Amino acid sequence: MKESSPMQDWQKLSEKELHGKKLDTLNWSTPDGSLLKALYTSEDLKDLPHIHSLPGLDPFLRGPKATMYAGRPWTIRQYAGFSTAEESNAFYRRALAAGGQGISVAFDLATHRGYDSDHPRVKGDVGKAGVAIDSVEDMKILFSEIPLDKISVSMTMNGAVLPVLACFIVAAEEQGVSRSQLSGTIQNDILKEFMVRNTYIYPPAPSMKIVADIFAYTSEHMPKFNSISISGYHMQEAGADPILELAYTLSDGKEYIETALKSGLKIDDFAPRLSFFFGIGMNFYLEIAKLRAARVLWSKIVEKYSPQNIKSKMLRTHCQTSGWSLTEQDPYNNVIRTTLEAMSAVFGGTQSLHTNSFDEAVALPTEFSSRIARNTQIIIQEESSITKVIDPWGGSYFMESLTQNVIDKSWEIIEEIDQMGGMAKAIEQGYPKMKIEEAAAKKQALIDNGEEVILGVNKYQLTKEEEIEILEIDNPAVRENQILSLKKLKSNRNEKSAQNALEALTKYAETGVGNSLELSIQAARARCSLGEMTMALEKIWGRYKANTQVISGVYGRSMEKNEQWQNIYKDILEFEKQEGRRPRMLVAKMGQDGHDRGAKVIATAFADVGFDIDLAPLFSTPEDVAKHAIENDVHVIGVSTQAAGHKTLIPDLIAELKKLKANDIIIVAGGVIPKQDYDFLYKAGVKGIFGPGTPIPLAAADVLKAIKLARS
Amino acid sequence: MKELLLSGDRRALAKAITLVESQKPEHQKDAQKLLSSIMPYTGKSFRLGVSGPPGVGKSTFIEGFGTYIIEEKNKKVAVLAVDPSSPISGGSLLADKTRMEKLSLSEKAFVRPSPSSGALGGVANKTRECMFLCEAAGFDFIIIETVGVGQSEYEVANMVDFFATLMLPNAGDEIQGIKKGLLELADAILVNKWDGELKQAAEIAAQHYKNALAILHKTTNWITPIHLCSSIEKQGFDAIYNSLTKYQELNKQNANFQKKRLQQNKLWFESLVHKAFLSFVNSKFKESWEKLSKEVEQQKKSPYEAMNELFQLMGLDNT
Repeated sequence: MKESSPMQDWQKLSEKELHGKKLDTLNWSTPDGSLLKALYTSEDLKDLPHIHSLPGLDPFLRGPKATMYAGRPWTIRQYAGFSTAEESNAFYRRALAAGGQGISVAFDLATHRGYDSDHPRVKGDVGKAGVAIDSVEDMKILFSEIPLDKISVSMTMNGAVLPVLACFIVAAEEQGVSRSQLSGTIQNDILKEFMVRNTYIYPPAPSMKIVADIFAYTSEHMPKFNSISISGYHMQEAGADPILELAYTLSDGKEYIETALKSGLKIDDFAPRLSFFFGIGMNFYLEIAKLRAARVLWSKIVEKYSPQNIKSKMLRTHCQTSGWSLTEQDPYNNVIRTTLEAMSAVFGGTQSLHTNSFDEAVALPTEFSSRIARNTQIIIQEESSITKVIDPWGGSYFMESLTQNVIDKSWEIIEEIDQMGGMAKAIEQGYPKMKIEEAAAKKQALIDNGEEVILGVNKYQLTKEEEIEILEIDNPAVRENQILSLKKLKSNRNEKSAQNALEALTKYAETGVGNSLELSIQAARARCSLGEMTMALEKIWGRYKANTQVISGVYGRSMEKNEQWQNIYKDILEFEKQEGRRPRMLVAKMGQDGHDRGAKVIATAFADVGFDIDLAPLFSTPEDVAKHAIENDVHVIGVSTQAAGHKTLIPDLIAELKKLKANDIIIVAGGVIPKQDYDFLYKAGVKGIFGPGTPIPLAAADVLKAIKLARS
Repeated sequence: MKELLLSGDRRALAKAITLVESQKPEHQKDAQKLLSSIMPYTGKSFRLGVSGPPGVGKSTFIEGFGTYIIEEKNKKVAVLAVDPSSPISGGSLLADKTRMEKLSLSEKAFVRPSPSSGALGGVANKTRECMFLCEAAGFDFIIIETVGVGQSEYEVANMVDFFATLMLPNAGDEIQGIKKGLLELADAILVNKWDGELKQAAEIAAQHYKNALAILHKTTNWITPIHLCSSIEKQGFDAIYNSLTKYQELNKQNANFQKKRLQQNKLWFESLVHKAFLSFVNSKFKESWEKLSKEVEQQKKSPYEAMNELFQLMGLDNT
């Protein structure tokens, strides 16, 4: 009799445990569609090319540093900004005293889009989602008593990157710290703005020129400063699966290399200062594999440009836990989610990490929630022994095999983008944005169908939600103060030198001669405001308008068997019979908030169930939205809001409709709206509010009901 | 509603369009009444149809050209755009205004996207009627955007004074594939995206179109011009506008302008009868219609047999 192998024994045993079900029923798949097994063995390690590589050595599979966290743990870097420079400064100083190790500045939306706080378009945006910075004076307050020669500063800024970086450099200079001593990162990743986040200002070509200028300036004068943080985070937040996120981010990186080389820089001048930024979601294993794969892929990509400095090939990254995975429902669960995600980032070998606060699904973090978020990292670093071993997953049958799968699949996508002529070309065609929106719609359908479990949202829901304390921002007060400071700034400066500096910027935009960062620094010194500097260039370049594309059918196809969905479909047919047309909704975003995933998912899903959906352009004012709504004669306006502007902008919209005698058009709102604001909005006249985690069929049914009620 | 509409009230115009587009029989009666009453106030605009393949940048062109008409020619512009409804859900996703941001916010513009049809089977295409409403409301330059596929191009060409077709700057092989009929329909070919990297390609393409058109024999005295334009850089608009005025003058001289409109009215009547008759049969003889359809599908009857039977049932002699 032939003896059976241990593997055969295991298979037999397994099927017995499964009560006769086949072993392959245990197979599972990651969101990108890769099929995975339940057991990996030494067989799976065969032929893996990098299995014997070591940390700190090319291709850096096991980490960019030789000793990784055993030598020095990652930097705890919490992203924060609290409306005013004073409050933010106080927060940073407290955080540094309590174990934070670097600063990460969140700016408000007006600043992101290059508007001063006194601009009429940003009435609802000032001080929301971050700190308002109008000039070097604000920047000096922001870093008051923070030694910029010692503390590294990361700034999430892409659109208004020139004035913000210039003000930072001048603020340091006036603090007595030279530019060469500055360490930290500027996000400066404009490509992904065109793809997902939408906080761009200028059209793509001049925007890329600015990026190259910043590379040139920092490589010459700021050796410790990362000139860019090539970001996948926002793609994942917008719905991309981790592999799509990885591939597109690396393709962005490739495009930046090409841009810099074309501008005359040499690969080793700037490549060592390129840094990355990834999102870490709830796919525990896949996120670890993603970071390991990212390093191998980047090394392979840069290899092509024949760098002499090995650091040019080394991918260093910041990570942030996913904001998307946080729920409004049963919010303390978010602490646990964030912990798991933080562990993925750490096992993957990140260089710095932001852990989200549990209340970020609905509001800006409070002092308390920030502390818990920070402590999540400190506990991993100091209580768990996790840092003692370098790349603890190295050699794992499963992890090494998964990593290779991520490498292979990402490479295919990178090649696809290459064939389109690189990322800039692909973005022009709207291709990556469409792919990400498709992934987002698919994911939403999986959740609404209950195929993907989210505790408290589609499983084990609480019957009664406890209210949590949130941070309230007095937006009008912040705006008034900023306007006062701007007036002071302009009356105290030497007007002639300010105007000269602005003219120099305009001339640069015309001729392309000079370095835009250098010129912006001079303007910042001359006390030009952020809005003035932006306008000096905008005069020539114009402000970019995105080409909005829409997808259809993806969400609806996944919901075909959902009974609730079918019922709404029938209700809409009935409505059409009664009213002579379908229910028509204008989906609008107001203010400078460019996060349009929610709006796009709602638009495509509602159209898939039979609504007629109009889309308003991004960055609309309440007056704009009212005009669109009236001309298209919609039944309802669905306002999507992610950045806390709703308490100003929605009442303004209602007032505008009233003024135009169109108050039969009703308003519903969705997105990041804290429970505390519901009463305010209902009183203002809003007919439905849909917080994060609302299943779309429920929202669609409620909107239809609200329309019928308003018409009866 | 009539008075408000004639006074140029934006909301009244929007509501009137909704009424005209409504598929509900009661609404349709009211709509017909309204339309009849405003007809004396129509006809004073220039009617421009814009078509072109998907991705050619129709909306962006209208954004640029419409703004040009308002700013340079001091006219009030109404844009009517028809977007396809989903054949599966019957819903639609209308995103035109995101590409006509400046125009759609102008006080001198009215932009209204409409879904192509509802699921009830009725063709909701009331573009012509909506055009009259816009004229009655005082808009003197009407732009009608068509999705650029199938029948809709012919329908639009049959309701406008001037039909322009936008083309991509793909020189060479693409030209072969263009429908000959479309070129015959066009009163002008506009080669779009005459900017940036595509500038030269656009110029070459324009030359190709010129050659292609030279072979076609048009029945009228109008020689179809080829224009280069850039919607982004706002180039070429003067030349296009000059063609429109030249066309108008030429045709007014030989009275073709009015003749074309009267002919279009005849076609409108024919199409109304066609649609009304179908919908009449569909509702009044629904059961027979469905039964016969099924029998044709099951090959129990030939389409001719079924048609004749239906006519007999309706008491009409079809021989």
